[in-house]
Amino acid sequence: MKCRTFSFILLIISIPLMRFVPEVLASEITTPNRSITFPTDPFSFQPGPGQEIANTYCVICHSADYIYTQPPHSQTTWTEIIKKMKLAFGCPIPEESIIHLAQYLTHQNEIAPPAASPLEIQKASSPSRNEQGSRDKGKSVYTTHCLNCHGRMGKGDGPIGKMLIPPAANLTVLGEKSNQELLKTIQEGRPGTAMPSWKGDLSPQEIRNVLLYVRTFSQK
Amino acid sequence: MPFTDGLTRRRFLQAGLIAGGLSALGLRPVQANAPPGIDLPFSRGHRPLVAFPEKRPLMVMTTRPPQLETPFPIFDENIFTPNDAFFVRWHLAGIPTTVDLQTFRLTIRGRVQHPLSFSLTDLQTQFEPIEVAAVCQCAGNSRAFSEPRVAGGQWGHGAMGNAIWKGVRLRDLLEKAGVEKDAKHVRFDGLDRPVADVTPDFLKSLPVDHAMVDHVLVAYAMNGEPLPFLNGFPLRLVIPGWYASYWVKMLTDIEVLNHDDHNFWMDPAYRIPDNACGCVEPGQKPTSTVPLSTMPVRSFITNVADGATLSAGKPTLIKGIAFDQGYGIDQVLLSIDGGQHWDAAQLGKDYGDFSFRPWEIRVALKPGQSYQFQSLAINRIGESQQLQAKWNPNGYLRNAVETVHVRTQG
Repeated sequence: MKCRTFSFILLIISIPLMRFVPEVLASEITTPNRSITFPTDPFSFQPGPGQEIANTYCVICHSADYIYTQPPHSQTTWTEIIKKMKLAFGCPIPEESIIHLAQYLTHQNEIAPPAASPLEIQKASSPSRNEQGSRDKGKSVYTTHCLNCHGRMGKGDGPIGKMLIPPAANLTVLGEKSNQELLKTIQEGRPGTAMPSWKGDLSPQEIRNVLLYVRTFSQK
Repeated sequence: MPFTDGLTRRRFLQAGLIAGGLSALGLRPVQANAPPGIDLPFSRGHRPLVAFPEKRPLMVMTTRPPQLETPFPIFDENIFTPNDAFFVRWHLAGIPTTVDLQTFRLTIRGRVQHPLSFSLTDLQTQFEPIEVAAVCQCAGNSRAFSEPRVAGGQWGHGAMGNAIWKGVRLRDLLEKAGVEKDAKHVRFDGLDRPVADVTPDFLKSLPVDHAMVDHVLVAYAMNGEPLPFLNGFPLRLVIPGWYASYWVKMLTDIEVLNHDDHNFWMDPAYRIPDNACGCVEPGQKPTSTVPLSTMPVRSFITNVADGATLSAGKPTLIKGIAFDQGYGIDQVLLSIDGGQHWDAAQLGKDYGDFSFRPWEIRVALKPGQSYQFQSLAINRIGESQQLQAKWNPNGYLRNAVETVHVRTQG
């Protein structure tokens, strides 16, 4: 008896609802929103004099495969291309670095392009034992690779970071993100932002170290 | 300096067959240490095959911003290029990852009497729907075959596709807004943005006369489906006969200007030498330039890959596609001896003046011989492909007769 009363009430309630539901569905069908996730860069620039200039400036706007798919160009042509990136597209590369980058790109352009590097997330996710030593090593990695965008205190206010759309992430407010999440971001980069993948440049140990250092920003 | 590496034609053929097989089976290769790829027949021509969102595995020229080339066997399988195989080319890496149609609007502003704003539903319900079959071809399609080589995206022949585009006439939108008498150009902007705010946003303009042409569309569908995200969901400008650089993706803003547009992407980018051939002597720079616009006539053999070995004896079917800027294809000629003798191919179904036009011909081949297959298309105003490739510093406008080298079994 109880059950029957309950289902009767349900029936009454559901009549107006049923009339309303198809309209909601219809509008969803004619206007489906769409989202995608972009793959991360398959590799970064290879070791050699000038690698850091390429990994600092070129990858702000595009993946490294832009260079490795080019036919052999002379150093003069590479210099012209870099100057176009600086003058027409606003690449913040300092004038004095242009010649070093041109030499590096000319050399990279002559050798075989790198293979896509495998994911090393699992290896990178276990914490280090000697945390203080690792943090110090992480600071030096940070100064070399991260400071231009994320700034000295990690606020996302480095000289390049301020120009970016979206701006470089503020690393002082990462408290709630898991190590796993942050390691993945460093390893793989963040699609839709200028944050590149670092797995080709930094060893799993270096990535763990830099994360330890980055964690210190939210403690200050 | 080596402009060609030791890549054999056989290797290219094998790669092409792998790609054809993969696409036929709909396989998505797992990206492991060595992802499958295709080797195009020029230096630095290795292209990994990777499936981007809503796409089957395509040839990755660049990852960010994405530039993906259609493997050539797909043009033999389909006159209308499948949406998931259609090539992809973005200029700026600030591509949105979500489009919310509740808030998405296309605005019309500038030199108009009534600035307007439309949702996708407005466009689909308030205007006459129009369909056109048209080829979308990147201005730099086949750039990697420029000799001497030039800088820029190193495309093979697969930065093109043919689709049935459905949408509303741009003219209908502009007339509703009321274009002012002093209007000269109409400028288009998509949702994509530069990574750094100092980089010029990607904007393209059409002369107002061409914006009013009957078949210029704001398209919301491609081959009967919403546009793939990477091909410009939800709206894309469609300018049949003109190069794809003008077909602005994720179109969100139309601004009517009372002056010429000299934004970076109109000047100095995407310009060709200001002369009849759009060309200069190899290695030279043009003295003056004009904006690129229409596509010269082209044709391709689609069912025989360069380096193939064929059997002799019975008549061999050779087939392919041809297209031009919209005059329509009048004739396709085929040579098997590198251009000494030509025979007329039979044209297939006509899907409209802006579409790929299929063609085919049967030829007799002798055993144990080498052949050079070439196709040459002529449009209805008598323009034909070039026997000798023209050259310009950006590798635009290629419409040379391409050669497919073949051997027959002895």
